[in-house]
Amino acid sequence: MDSILAASSTLDSVKHFINVACEPHWFLIISVLAFFIFLIGYRTWTKPIVAGTVSALATLFFLASCADTNFAKIVTKADNVPIVIMMVTVSFLLWLAFRQAAINDERMEKGEPLIEAGADDKVLVWPDLVYSELIALVLCTALLIVWAIILRAPLEQPADPNVAPNPAKAPWYFLGLQEMLVYFDPWLAGVVFPGLIIVGLLAIPYIDKNPRGNGYYTFKERKFAITTFLFGFVILWVVLIIFGTFLRGPNWNFFGPYEFWDPHRPAALLNTEFHDLFWVNTLGRPLPGHYLIRELPGIVLLGAYFMLGPVIMKWLFFRKISRDIGFIRYSVLCVLILFMLLMPIKMVLRWTLNLHYIVGITEWFLNV
Amino acid sequence: MAKKQLITKVWIEEGCIVCDACETAAPEVFEVMDDTCVIRPDALNAEFTKPRSEGIVDAAEECPVDVIKFDSDTVEVADEAPTEPAAAPATETQTAPSPAKKAPAAEPKKAAPQKAPASVGKTKAPSAGEPDPSIQALLEAATSRGGNAGIMRNSTEVPTSAQGWRATDVDNLPPDARQAKVVEAAQKAKKQSALHRRDFVSNSAVAIGWTAFGVGTGISIGPAFGRFMMPNVLEEPDPRIRVGKITRYMEMAPGDVNEDYKPQGIWMIRDEDRIAALNIICTHLGCIPNWQPNDRKFKCPCHGSGYYSDGINFEGPTPRPLERFKITIKDGIVIVDKSKKYQYELGQWDQPGSYILV
Repeated sequence: MDSILAASSTLDSVKHFINVACEPHWFLIISVLAFFIFLIGYRTWTKPIVAGTVSALATLFFLASCADTNFAKIVTKADNVPIVIMMVTVSFLLWLAFRQAAINDERMEKGEPLIEAGADDKVLVWPDLVYSELIALVLCTALLIVWAIILRAPLEQPADPNVAPNPAKAPWYFLGLQEMLVYFDPWLAGVVFPGLIIVGLLAIPYIDKNPRGNGYYTFKERKFAITTFLFGFVILWVVLIIFGTFLRGPNWNFFGPYEFWDPHRPAALLNTEFHDLFWVNTLGRPLPGHYLIRELPGIVLLGAYFMLGPVIMKWLFFRKISRDIGFIRYSVLCVLILFMLLMPIKMVLRWTLNLHYIVGITEWFLNV
Repeated sequence: MAKKQLITKVWIEEGCIVCDACETAAPEVFEVMDDTCVIRPDALNAEFTKPRSEGIVDAAEECPVDVIKFDSDTVEVADEAPTEPAAAPATETQTAPSPAKKAPAAEPKKAAPQKAPASVGKTKAPSAGEPDPSIQALLEAATSRGGNAGIMRNSTEVPTSAQGWRATDVDNLPPDARQAKVVEAAQKAKKQSALHRRDFVSNSAVAIGWTAFGVGTGISIGPAFGRFMMPNVLEEPDPRIRVGKITRYMEMAPGDVNEDYKPQGIWMIRDEDRIAALNIICTHLGCIPNWQPNDRKFKCPCHGSGYYSDGINFEGPTPRPLERFKITIKDGIVIVDKSKKYQYELGQWDQPGSYILV
């Protein structure tokens, strides 16, 4: 009896530990650390034996976690099954690409021909492409039919414009955007940032004219490009979707994976404003009357971020790149990177300091 | 040792009459399209055309308008060779007659620009006994996929047949008659479209006339059309909603929220000294928050915005407080007018009409 109690309390403490690790700031920090640890040791991590062990352990952990009611409830919800599949497929495709890059990089060092060497760049439409498409079509149809039969689409009560479900979640592919809306005003998170994502992706071929990596897998030759892109994709898109799917519960509060979704759980999230932190808390003075003077520290901070950011980045690690791509390309690159980094910075500030706005000119709806 | 001509480059000049003679003579080299004949891409390679020299020469001879031109190299072949190396089994369209007779016949046709590409220089003719490697590669390619093409998926190197093709400089390709025709047609069209002065004047007159007509029509019937797009009767519920007797709200304690009229989009609230009507729509992105009596706050389920019971925002991303509706009393009945809103950040909550003093 004692041993059972002890075991269950050990299990509880493990669950509690994981719940704490899934608090947003820890989750983000752990994700970013894991991301860079993977990139630094990509040759080791992508070895089939290592990758296989890691994925086997992850699967075991997942299956064991399903014994917990709250965890099982979240991951088996019909809406969330695609996200579980997405986590597997994203990991697999990343592994696949990095595995080939690791092999190629090793071959390059030894002076051996690459995997892709000699491969003909022509494939026949008939039969190669048409057969593949036919097989994919048949398999996808079969999968969708089976899926639709096994996992019923959740039917809820008739829509009522005066009642929003709690939590109200966007379709899974928009959960990253919905998460962004928690930290920025709608005009920024709903218009400017999505626009910048699209424009930034369109700008990549004009900024990055380096032909290396065309037609063959490599990481060693394209460290910066691949790292930047994957940071935006994996950390700022996939991780945000995981946040929105598994960790956001009633009232849009964060819940650990083993935590009960209690709509009445208290959450102390009283907002603080940057102008309060500066004028009242630091200088011990009342807020200035005029909004421009009131928001001056935030404006200066944000201006310094965008003005000095490129200079500091150039000085630290972009010396060669800035020389290679020229002033205009470098400026565009820096603006895109700084906007991208604004996201995690504001997220961490919100989680740790409950910071509402850095610049909060509510009179003009100009809030950042 | 006999001398023999092998064709390194073949092209078609303008004037093809689409007679199909060349495609009949050498189908792997020529393709007759709708309006002209073109060289198949494979045949832009010297290693490909060499073994098909005979067929090409035949085609050039049979061409009634003599538009097929070619470059050739003269190579020496062993006398005793019973059949020349080019007559490999893969090229089934080869005609039997000896090349020695054909080659001189082709001589006068070489009047066209002669620029033998350096890369294809003189290849040493293989002796009779050993098979020509280029032909071997072709054979292998032709048979590896049911004879469809020389594509070897898992090969570790570029097939021999493709090496010459890859090395060929794009600028050295023979001028294609089809391309020339397109260019010619484009130039013609450009010439025709050049505006003459007289055309310009008459065109402007027509344009001005039509513009004036369009503007006149727009001014005369535009408003009528605009009116037509509006509904004649607008089915809108009365924005004034009766929310019951004032006495029931007088009984509320400060900070209480009455949710009875949430279906109509109204929260009745009791502030310190007044009663007011809150709009239930979240000012962040328009969701409907929930009143949480235990925490005494409105909490939005979409992005986590939170408001105190009086509607002031204090947590989450929302930029401003909830809006208040106009509220009046008539015969002891409270009437909320949803068509008039009061916003805190504009200082409107102190305006009369936004509250009822208790």
